Amino acid sequence: MNTGMRGTDATPRRVVVTGLGVVTSIGIGIDAFTTGLREGRGGVKPITAFDTTGFDYANGCEVTDFDPAQWIHRVDPDELGRASQFSVAATRMAIEDAGLTVDEVRARRSLVSVGTTDGESRDLDQLVETGLATGPESYDPVVARRVPAGRLSSGIIREFALEDVEAVTIPTACAAGNYAVGYGYDALRSGDVDVALVGGADALCRKTFTGFYRLGTIAPEACQPFDKDRKGILTGEGAGILLLESLDSALARGARIYAEVLGYGLACDALHPVAPDRDSIARTIDIAHRNAGVTPDQIDFVSAHGTGTRANDITEVGAIRQIFGADAMPRTVSIKSMIGHSMGAASAVAAAACAVALTQGFIPPTVNHNETDPECGVDCVPNEARAAELNIVQNNALAFGGNNAVVILGKYRSAA
Amino acid sequence: MSNATTGLDAARKQEIKEVVCDILEIDEDEVTEVSLFKEDHDADSLRAIEILAALERTQHVTIDQAELSRMVNLVGVYTVIEEASARG
Repeated sequence: MNTGMRGTDATPRRVVVTGLGVVTSIGIGIDAFTTGLREGRGGVKPITAFDTTGFDYANGCEVTDFDPAQWIHRVDPDELGRASQFSVAATRMAIEDAGLTVDEVRARRSLVSVGTTDGESRDLDQLVETGLATGPESYDPVVARRVPAGRLSSGIIREFALEDVEAVTIPTACAAGNYAVGYGYDALRSGDVDVALVGGADALCRKTFTGFYRLGTIAPEACQPFDKDRKGILTGEGAGILLLESLDSALARGARIYAEVLGYGLACDALHPVAPDRDSIARTIDIAHRNAGVTPDQIDFVSAHGTGTRANDITEVGAIRQIFGADAMPRTVSIKSMIGHSMGAASAVAAAACAVALTQGFIPPTVNHNETDPECGVDCVPNEARAAELNIVQNNALAFGGNNAVVILGKYRSAA
Repeated sequence: MSNATTGLDAARKQEIKEVVCDILEIDEDEVTEVSLFKEDHDADSLRAIEILAALERTQHVTIDQAELSRMVNLVGVYTVIEEASARG
């Protein structure tokens, strides 16, 4: 949360979102994804990513229509794990969506920051399985080389042959997408870079499904955030990459501006391995509001972390109530009801959803909703998207270990 | 002491006790059949699930997660394991 500035500029640069790339179970590319959000589509289906024998139920939100070769041209897609394929593909979409050429991006000082929970754990699953079956001498060297999580960001640099670039993979689990957006905001605001490709990526993997299953937090059928009968999360996968640049840069090239990044807040508490802490979440929201220079009454809706577990939804809504007041609760929605929990990608994809919501004037719905849990007591925009004139929206991300991150986006209106 | 656990022999109870103490990171003489994992031995919900998972593995049973509410001390665990073994 850099409030300082570089060089001689008196005012820090304003940062805007001009390109969006998403890979989700309800649509690949920002147009298909937006249609999915507006229609309240669901990406849930039986998991095919791994053998689910032995589990009583195994639904997830898998991306089943992804063709890496369509998006990855310079690098051999087989040299990238599935999460890296998602991050590279979403980046190409974001660059194209921003109306930039790859050469134009390469000519600028750039940042690539990609958040993740699992990195390439999908490949680790496979290596372990091979090792158990036939011994480590059977490891496929191509798969072994794909494993380092740094490749989620370095894969982007290889694909687009970026040169004057910083690459980071941010491992703050299910809040990592927002961390990556915040990092890009700081780098642009301070003048360190001129373009930032930021977001998150994760691939469905057995390790994470099994972990959540063991904790008793996997929903048998559907993800129902804030519903009184909610039964937990559905694991998902995908990527969201936002192309950020300074407002001046966007105006100079006549770019379409989806939204302005007004600020963000981070507050890791490290209190408990998995349980969220209400006060810490409230503190994160407060920091984000102050960093963005907004007040709670200005927030038009909250894109919640909203996993659909009993613990998350009550704790998160409790924190929102703490900041906004019981009589002034914002509309609070969860797109995880549609795309499941895509882990490190989740808050980046949600940030993309917030950006299109601001541009097009609608609030994405919380689907699979029957009856709101009185303990949550929020307007979650049940089942159907709602048209709304929006100015400022808040995107929550809460991760295991108390890694909380909140991003504030605003509609950009040109000065009259 | 409860009679509900007569179905498990001493060796089996000892095995279960070792698993529980290992996860709670306590010595066996610190735990009694009725001392509470949460209140007396600082266990949280994650430890409770760890105990459940370890017992499923070592005792070759399947334990529904709803049983966690009864697995608050060794007596409770013995009862749940006995019932699960009878089913299995």
